[in-house]
Amino acid sequence: MREILKMIVVLSAICGLSGFCLSYLKQMTAPAIENQVLTYVQGPAIKQVLTDTDNDPIADRKKFTNPITGKQINVFPALKGGKLVAIALEEFGGGFGGDIGVIVGFNVDSDTLTGIGVTTMKETPGLGTRTAEPSFTKQFKKLPMHVDLKSRGGQIDAISGATISSNGVVIAVQNAAKVYEAIKSEATKTWN
Amino acid sequence: MMEYFLLLISAVFVNNVVLAQYLGQCPYLGCSKEKGVSIGMGAAVIFVMILATPITWLIQYKVLVPLGLDYLQTIMFILVIAALVQLVEMFLKKAVPPLYSSLGIFLPLITTNCAVLGVAIVVQRESFDLGTSTYYAFATGLGFMLALILLASIRERLEISRLPLSMKGVPAALVLAGIMSMSFMAFAGMI
Amino acid sequence: MASMWKEFSKGLWAEIPPFRLMLGLCPTLAVTKSANNGLGMGLAVIFVLALSNAVISLIRNIIPKKVRIACYIAIAASLVVAVELLMQAYTYPLYQQLGIFVPLIVVNCIILGRAEAFAGKNPVHLSIADGLGMGIGFTMSLTFLGALREVLGYGTLFGHGLFGPDFHPVHFMVEAPGAFVSLGLILAGMNLLSIRKALRRGENPADNPMPGCESCRGCAMGRD
Repeated sequence: MREILKMIVVLSAICGLSGFCLSYLKQMTAPAIENQVLTYVQGPAIKQVLTDTDNDPIADRKKFTNPITGKQINVFPALKGGKLVAIALEEFGGGFGGDIGVIVGFNVDSDTLTGIGVTTMKETPGLGTRTAEPSFTKQFKKLPMHVDLKSRGGQIDAISGATISSNGVVIAVQNAAKVYEAIKSEATKTWN
Repeated sequence: MMEYFLLLISAVFVNNVVLAQYLGQCPYLGCSKEKGVSIGMGAAVIFVMILATPITWLIQYKVLVPLGLDYLQTIMFILVIAALVQLVEMFLKKAVPPLYSSLGIFLPLITTNCAVLGVAIVVQRESFDLGTSTYYAFATGLGFMLALILLASIRERLEISRLPLSMKGVPAALVLAGIMSMSFMAFAGMI
Repeated sequence: MASMWKEFSKGLWAEIPPFRLMLGLCPTLAVTKSANNGLGMGLAVIFVLALSNAVISLIRNIIPKKVRIACYIAIAASLVVAVELLMQAYTYPLYQQLGIFVPLIVVNCIILGRAEAFAGKNPVHLSIADGLGMGIGFTMSLTFLGALREVLGYGTLFGHGLFGPDFHPVHFMVEAPGAFVSLGLILAGMNLLSIRKALRRGENPADNPMPGCESCRGCAMGRD
């Protein structure tokens, strides 16, 4: 009996102690991890959509509340000469293999798209993944912010054989446009 | 239906767990000297994978994610798998002695088989649902068993042939695994 | 001091893993597509191995014998989670490159094998020396294998081009078969060395086979 008790005490002490240390470490590293993920996962897409800028959009990011879902989201500003010219944010749309994450950039003066960049997707290689390639994403450049597929009377050519993935990207852009409209005034106030 | 068939082909042949994903090398090289042993080990791995993958899946989505503790995934999974293997062993010993006498000796070796933990983590990273995860675990186990039995059959032959002393054992098995892996790469054209 | 050096240096050549002490083959095969990845994986293993050896040796008298393997696993797993967090925070690209083989360090036989064979029985300073030596030996092996495969398979070393445009890389080396064959040939080479040595001493080389994965007693959960 004494032996079993000792076994339980030692095991739970080890687990408890390591759990405590790890949760401390997790808190310590959380900001650094967020920075790294933004730099390496969202970073390339942000650089694609916010080209004309003299600040670091990732370092200057701010959190806003998404009015539709109520969740906190990161918004990345592009400043030029201290004035806000464009903002970028990430939104999601359902694709063939789960949600597709898309960074969408908006020009604040003309309310047009500066471009889009796909961040995360689990689409079929060679078909759905082609929606991440420039040949598809460049269609969005300089369009007014409300876009749709040509099959629904919009401006975007879907990739043949990957309609669901193309639709997922378009839905993500539409979602982002809704968020942009809702937070635009707050964002211009924050950075100007 | 087609989707599930493709997943099976992919897990068994194209992305074979041992020959393409490099998991489970220790039992692959350690238990491939005789065909009988390799069949037992393969069956035990399939058995534990089918049990461990849905259980770790449930822990991930019903316990860790809601509590915001998903960074503890590794530690939880390995402890659960270790405990599970012990339980299965005790259960088989009491309830199904014939199965225990054929699989039992392999069970303790499985806790540290990285293929089991590997599959549990892979299905999280691929965000499969519960059913697909279990099916994928079965298919992966099948691929492991196939590779193990093939290697054991070749090594039984190799035992009676003349090899340089320095190549005997693991080095020869590794070179063989390389050749097998190359031939399995040809399946990549199938899907 | 002399005994510490002895425990440290055995991991560097005499028992260098995984070439002589065949432990931890999965990451060896999987991450050695480039010298850089091999080095990164090795450093992560040094961290976990040295610390797990230290902690286990420190509390070796408190751990009840029956649940010692469970305790070793819990300690090793905690350290692996710590490595995962640190890698995500400071070397994210490497973390992505190594993929699931970072969490899989926990089932790397090298960790449990050294805990069971050494740290559970020896004082702290010797255990740390053993862990560091084995870890550094493992890192050297992985970097060597990674460099070999990278040079032949891509014509680069640590990402720097070596041969200029006329070089035709042997793509075989960076695919799965190349990993198996090159490790097999290196092991055969190591065998050849030890056979020569045994013959020179007048011993029968077949008497000292290389310890394989079976030697990792951790796999047996402490039962014999």
